[in-house]
Amino acid sequence: MKLELGFIQINDIQFSKECKVESNTLYIDPDAVKAFMYEDDDVKAWVKDFSFDIAKPGESVRITPVKDVIEPRVKVEGSGGVFPGVINKVDTVGSGKTHVLRGMAVVTAGKIVGFQEGIIDMSGPGAEYTPFSKLNDFVVVAEPAEGYQDHKHDYEHAVRIAGLRAATFIGELGRNVKPDETQEFETYGIKEGIEKLPGLPRVAYVHMLQTQGLLHDTYVYGVDAKRTLTTIINPTETMDGAILSGNCVSACDKNTTYHHLNNPVVAELFAQHGKKINYVCNIITNENVYLADKQRSSDWTAKLCRLLDLDGAIVSQEGFGNPDTDLIMNAKKIALQGVKTTIITDEYAGQDGKSQSLADADPLADAVVTGGNANQVIILPKMDKVIGTLDYVDVIAGGHAGSLRPDGTIEAELQIITGATNEMGFNRLSAR
Amino acid sequence: MALMGSERDYLILTNNPLVPACMEGKGKFTIRFLAEKNFREILVLARDMVYAGHTLYTHPMAGSVKPNETPYKSLIVSVEPHGFDGTHGELMSNAIAVFDKFTPIGWELEERILKDFQLIDYTLLAGAINFDAQAGLSNKK
Repeated sequence: MKLELGFIQINDIQFSKECKVESNTLYIDPDAVKAFMYEDDDVKAWVKDFSFDIAKPGESVRITPVKDVIEPRVKVEGSGGVFPGVINKVDTVGSGKTHVLRGMAVVTAGKIVGFQEGIIDMSGPGAEYTPFSKLNDFVVVAEPAEGYQDHKHDYEHAVRIAGLRAATFIGELGRNVKPDETQEFETYGIKEGIEKLPGLPRVAYVHMLQTQGLLHDTYVYGVDAKRTLTTIINPTETMDGAILSGNCVSACDKNTTYHHLNNPVVAELFAQHGKKINYVCNIITNENVYLADKQRSSDWTAKLCRLLDLDGAIVSQEGFGNPDTDLIMNAKKIALQGVKTTIITDEYAGQDGKSQSLADADPLADAVVTGGNANQVIILPKMDKVIGTLDYVDVIAGGHAGSLRPDGTIEAELQIITGATNEMGFNRLSAR
Repeated sequence: MALMGSERDYLILTNNPLVPACMEGKGKFTIRFLAEKNFREILVLARDMVYAGHTLYTHPMAGSVKPNETPYKSLIVSVEPHGFDGTHGELMSNAIAVFDKFTPIGWELEERILKDFQLIDYTLLAGAINFDAQAGLSNKK
């Protein structure tokens, strides 16, 4: 399967009465975005209103609480449309051409539950820990309709859809724009790959998806991944939005939709594809709460690795605690098939970094890449402007009573920052 | 021989009031509501039962909500002991070790926050055993 990505660099976002992409600037009419979001019945039912803002790199701006971050894309050639099974029909994506509005993101924010979710600082020390401070962010703040307290599943769904619709609307503006740069990505069928790349080690990416319940879910072609068996997906499908985040818990190590679209493991495997390795495919597997599900899914992962005759596998996880068990089960069972295995995770090693990092371990999980210690303490200075609300900072993951100090500074653990210790490695922290 | 458990064998240990409110009488499982126990005490009770041979059905660290944030914990062990399983024992003791490594947060949680923590704990439990969480909420006692 072959996909060409056409990158349209966005250096600036301006509010305007006209919606267009011109000279690397996005001109956007918030009312037009709002109207497009409200075409969805669930959004209409559960979101009372939206407000919009623009945050640029280097500004004294804090966005919180962040729900999701989404990169606008549009399919210009080939079957299907971006976010298949959710926004567009369920046709298979991942081939043809897709335009990407690079350098910007849609950020959804606003209260869903009274804790969790994260912070994006556009400047200062906090900005160094989140990749989204480097982007021009089009921020959509949602306000819930009356009575949402008893319908949080519906409200979470509505905000998720609203963000994807905003990104779809903006992505469409790039349809007829000539990309600044194009890049091709191709993986082969099993036999074809062995013939084309003889002698190169066959490597797959085992991509673990957060699948536990409300605010802890991931969707694949619109399917709640809790209810799936471990399966195979072409990496280019993920570039067209086949995997979407419904996860808003544990800001530092949740994989936003932006991460799924720009998966750094996929990017690096493609960079080595045909040179040092034969990048075979992605294997997607879940992280359920029920122990028999964990066993079934990890058994299935190992079976697929064997069936594909892999030489190596990279395994990434998402979340804290429970997924550590899936990670270790996957690593151990894949290794027992004779496949060399490396895991990517982050650590909860205590504020002093001295505690055991993961909730589970095994001697076979002997190659580990870390995304950093989520318990590390950080002090964030006051920002001139807050998009969203600071109401929840004290009770957000990584915060504590008194986190929000009277002078507006915040003392908290890295957990509080969106993407700080990302377990795909889409961040700047690591250790040797 | 280790056989797959049925719903009749599920004993839900919980200190979350939303669990009995939404699930009591709605399935073949048994709910033991332990309002007086804190998060850690629920883990210790489950660990002791697992050590005594009860099967552990759900992961004790469900959810990315950190153990020092939420006061609520629900998990499922078997009604009857079926024999000690070392893997389950290890999961339980690791969960308690993880709990103890987090710094106590020391806040008084407001009612709205408590309700949200109850909701998350309940949906994680419901998701684990295919219980329709939304239907349970609609018919809450």
